[in-house]
Amino acid sequence: MTPDLIAFFVLALIAIAAALGMLLGRNVVYSALFLVLNFGTVAVFYILLDAPFIALTQVSVYAGAIMVLFLFVIMLLGTETLPVSKALPWQRPLAFVLALILAGEAGYLLFFRKVTSGTIPQPVQTFGSPQAVGQALFNQYLLPFEVTSVLLLIAMVGAIVLTIKEKGGQGK
Amino acid sequence: MFTSTTFLSILPETLILILGVILLIVEPFWKVKDPSSGGDEQRRNAGWLTAGGLFAVLVISVLVGRPGDPTSTFGSSIRFDWLGFFFKMLFIFGAGITALLLMDHEKVGRRGEAYMLLLASTIGMCLMASAADLITLYLAIETTSIPLYVLAGFMLTDEHSTEAGFKYLLFGAMTSAIMLYGFSLLYGFTGTTNLYALADAFKSGQLAAPVMFGLIVLIVVGLGFKVSVVPFHFWAPDVYEGAPTPVSGFLSTASKAAGFAVIARLFLVVFHDVAVDWAAVFAILSAVTMTVGNLLALPQKNLKRMLAYSSIAHAGYAMIGIVAVSKLGITSVVFYLLAYIVTNLAAFGIVMTVGRVTGSDEYDAYRGLSRRSPWLALVMLAAFLSLAGMPPFGGFIAKVLVFAAGIQANYIWLVVIGILNSIVGLYYYLNVLKYVYLFRMEKEDEEAHPIAVTRPYAIALVVLVLGIILLGTVFAPWFGFSNAAAMNLF
Amino acid sequence: MIPINYYIALSAILFTIGALGVLVRRNPLIIFMSIELMLNAANLAIVAFTRVYQILEGQIFVFFVMTVAAAEVAVGLALIVAIFRTKHSINIDEMNNLKG
Repeated sequence: MTPDLIAFFVLALIAIAAALGMLLGRNVVYSALFLVLNFGTVAVFYILLDAPFIALTQVSVYAGAIMVLFLFVIMLLGTETLPVSKALPWQRPLAFVLALILAGEAGYLLFFRKVTSGTIPQPVQTFGSPQAVGQALFNQYLLPFEVTSVLLLIAMVGAIVLTIKEKGGQGK
Repeated sequence: MFTSTTFLSILPETLILILGVILLIVEPFWKVKDPSSGGDEQRRNAGWLTAGGLFAVLVISVLVGRPGDPTSTFGSSIRFDWLGFFFKMLFIFGAGITALLLMDHEKVGRRGEAYMLLLASTIGMCLMASAADLITLYLAIETTSIPLYVLAGFMLTDEHSTEAGFKYLLFGAMTSAIMLYGFSLLYGFTGTTNLYALADAFKSGQLAAPVMFGLIVLIVVGLGFKVSVVPFHFWAPDVYEGAPTPVSGFLSTASKAAGFAVIARLFLVVFHDVAVDWAAVFAILSAVTMTVGNLLALPQKNLKRMLAYSSIAHAGYAMIGIVAVSKLGITSVVFYLLAYIVTNLAAFGIVMTVGRVTGSDEYDAYRGLSRRSPWLALVMLAAFLSLAGMPPFGGFIAKVLVFAAGIQANYIWLVVIGILNSIVGLYYYLNVLKYVYLFRMEKEDEEAHPIAVTRPYAIALVVLVLGIILLGTVFAPWFGFSNAAAMNLF
Repeated sequence: MIPINYYIALSAILFTIGALGVLVRRNPLIIFMSIELMLNAANLAIVAFTRVYQILEGQIFVFFVMTVAAAEVAVGLALIVAIFRTKHSINIDEMNNLKG
């Protein structure tokens, strides 16, 4: 076993354990922290996969911004522990079917696809660098990039609208 | 890289965005400091601006922005063709009417942000209809959904509304995550995110049928949520009931049509040559959707819930056209959605108008409506008969077209189920009209309780009723447009 | 070099855990976190595929997915706060004003 394979398996185990910890945790704060750990390990995978820009974004956006927002809300609402959950009857079969489909697809990818098994040539040095990503972003993907500006603007407007304290009926 | 076609291809979106920015800037200056001094008209300005602006966008786009031969612009993220264009015009029309209906909604209509969210959602829908790339498509779907989550939960003082918003968000986010996984596998199998390149990839290298089937299931989960076909319809009745009525109307019409626009492009272009008989899957979905929607609509006593189930059923009818996988099929879907948008918006417009006065959406609130407000009752008659598929209204032609497409494609059993379902539908639509025309208010003189129709509602309802009748009588031009849109997929 | 399909398998496992979380847990915050985990798993798969094809498309896709996730979280958490303000509880079992 080569060192990078060992590293991969250790990291993968951490990622899966963190995900399970998030899923099974009784305390929401622990769940959130487990999720941060999971996002962190995934960021390391991104570096291994020659995507340094995405790895940095992952850390700053996901682990940094999104999870902090979660923790903020948890602390604001003060609901660290919540009662034991009950599942709705129709959810379990649905979950089972979904898991089956995913396992099937993953198995197919693992064993039967040529593309994903076997060796892949090392990409050029600048692959996935911020410069390369930026150039693609502002040339071929200009329109989607502009759309995200609309998306973020309305997320901002929406969040303000939903959390503003209304004084006296519908006025401001 | 940038030619005039490039800009024309996103003309409606650009204009709507400009309108939204103007709205955000101007709206604070229109706020009236003291609400008691009769500043009502002034505060409605935001609504007039949005509705007027959207109709201006519609006119400008039709005059200047018509597509020629299908072309791809913006590094192939956008397909500029009649299919996208026709759907865009539908969404803009729907949003304009929704803005009119929002204006006199007590808790929503007086706040400019609501119109901004409506406009942003419309931009997302327009991009959904023309997206030619998985990246653009995913972004467009989310840009459509996120403002709608906020709009559904807009009434902060009403716990039904905020819960509706959150339920909608949970289902929406989860189904779109599943769809995203489907997209990632699509990309993984082919190495491209462009829809037309994907189509070429599937033409040459076939994937094994079970794998393709799994992939299609993952994608159908996300789109099924948008159009609310049956296994993914749980959210619809709750959300429609809890959300502000005009928003429910928008959700059940434009948002659903946007889902169908994506289904049509995705399945007829990308999955046209795959080894899986997805049409059969859609046939089963369609049959189940029609039946479940109609049967659950039967026992309802709340008009908004009934319309929610009926809109699920209508998704089933429209899907027959997709199942047909033919030019006539897609033409019929486009025409069906056109008729459905006009008709269902009218139905929700009436719920809004009556609900504003009576404060209730139960059937009982509609007792004696024909005496309280004869014109409103007539509008309701037209809308509900059109929903039921009666001539001479638009809904009739639309149903005939989808059934014809189904028969042409040899799905006789599906058409039979569709016709049986229409009969069930007729029963519960007529049941509501029974309350309107036959039942009386208890121990009250109806004529002493007229239902006031404010100016924006009057405009919206008149436009919609004219539309319903026009679609049912002079249908040739509309059929022509639908046909032109469908041609772009073959 | 680690074979790419290991990454895909890992992403499928993470995605399944996320899906199970959404379907089985009742705490809205945990459900929401599970959705983030699902998005994250999809992202991992996309980046892994990008490594195979060596076209930047995939990384751009992931960048946009992150933006969408941020917007979705902002709106979703705002909705949770709004519900909490009106009800002072965020257990989804108590969301029974609207029957499914």
